[in-house]
Amino acid sequence: MGLLWHQFREAVPLIVNGDPYIVSLLWVTVRVALVSTAAATVIGLPFGLALGLGRFRGRRALQLLANASLALPPVVVGIVLLMLLLPQGPFGSLRIEFTLRAVYIAQTILALPYIVALTPAAIQGLPPGLLAQARAFGASRPQLARLALREAKIGIAAAVMAAAGSAVSEVGAVIIVGGNFQGHDETLASALLAEFTYAANDPYEMAIAIVLFLLVLAMIGSLTIIQQRTGGLRFRFRSG
Amino acid sequence: MTFLWQLFRDAVPLITHGNPYLMSIIGFTLQVAAIATGLATLIGVPIGLTISLGRFRGRGAAQLAANMSLALPPALVGAVLYLVFAQGAPLGGLQLIYTRRVVFVAQTILALPYIVALTAAAVQGLPGGLLDQARAFGASRPQLAWLALREARIGVVAAIIAALGTSLSEVAAIAILGGNIYGYNQTLASATLYEVNGAHYAAAIAIAIVLIGLILVLVCGLGLLQHQSGGLRLRFRHQT
Repeated sequence: MGLLWHQFREAVPLIVNGDPYIVSLLWVTVRVALVSTAAATVIGLPFGLALGLGRFRGRRALQLLANASLALPPVVVGIVLLMLLLPQGPFGSLRIEFTLRAVYIAQTILALPYIVALTPAAIQGLPPGLLAQARAFGASRPQLARLALREAKIGIAAAVMAAAGSAVSEVGAVIIVGGNFQGHDETLASALLAEFTYAANDPYEMAIAIVLFLLVLAMIGSLTIIQQRTGGLRFRFRSG
Repeated sequence: MTFLWQLFRDAVPLITHGNPYLMSIIGFTLQVAAIATGLATLIGVPIGLTISLGRFRGRGAAQLAANMSLALPPALVGAVLYLVFAQGAPLGGLQLIYTRRVVFVAQTILALPYIVALTAAAVQGLPGGLLDQARAFGASRPQLAWLALREARIGVVAAIIAALGTSLSEVAAIAILGGNIYGYNQTLASATLYEVNGAHYAAAIAIAIVLIGLILVLVCGLGLLQHQSGGLRLRFRHQT
């Protein structure tokens, strides 16, 4: 216990005094989480709604595909993306390999399956008659989509939070496409890995771990609060 | 495109010619997946059943803890375990750091939350009256647990699939604890990371292809099993 306590005692001042390295890691992590979660939500929500509400051929196959893409290993996403972004690759002219932008793209791709797969699950969990009734009363597609969105908002909030969670936690793709440049495109999680790989036993490890833990805790806490505030289904449907 | 094609052409022989390094990684990855998923299932299913069936104080808190542990970043779990297992730390005497065994331990711990939380969720998703009825007919605790397990088996298999997925894809915890040592305690995922860091892109792609193939086979296989055993069957034999 002595060692742990000692490391803890050294780590706390780094956090409290706002050590520039720790602050930059937190800032990069928050930016990556915000950008990739927002992008994944904007891109993924229409697909998720289409899968949850649509009645077209191949819907089940697409949903299966969306569920399967949840199992996509981050390192595989990372290597494929890197090959596309390297100067010799098809998108090499963008010159964004080993930059924060590449990290945004990678984490968006990894966050997307959560939104696309969990949104239909949330919609399918709604009381069976609700959407059928809206359809029977002649709701247009956008109205139906809005209704589903509103009623399934807890499930969708959970999907968004899962996406944000993956953006904060995953390191495989971040390291591969970003190159883990210190203070530039390192996230808290990827810096933790780098610290342990290259510089074991300095107070930064413990400090980064504590900040990451607090960040995750804050995210879970806010989700819980959202879920409790908006809890319960409210059946209100205004026909335009 | 020629760049990608060339890489692919370089990668394929590495797979088809049975490179011994690749073979050893595949073997170790299968071992890790089997042991971690197996152990996590053995330990986690009883805990999940207890949380969902038990009626004891602190049940809600236990469930919250199980759900929250799903959100822990693997890098953080790895860092905490490192601080616990390092030399001079509380469990340093076990001498686990940078061994093969620590990879099994880390992946089991990472897989456990999936089994516990998703098993509990699956049992709680069963039709309301089912378990109450069994209780009313005087089912003993083991009988009740068995019934719940059988009826919630689709959800339990989904939990096992999720656990298998993490044990195959995660890199952060095992890289921190195992050190990602070439040909010794590398899984396919961590070896991909290793090869990218060394800029051996053809090798990285070869390993990534094998990893995707393995995940497809295992996850689809289990998914098929899940579908075949699909549908609720309400059969409950009371043993007299």
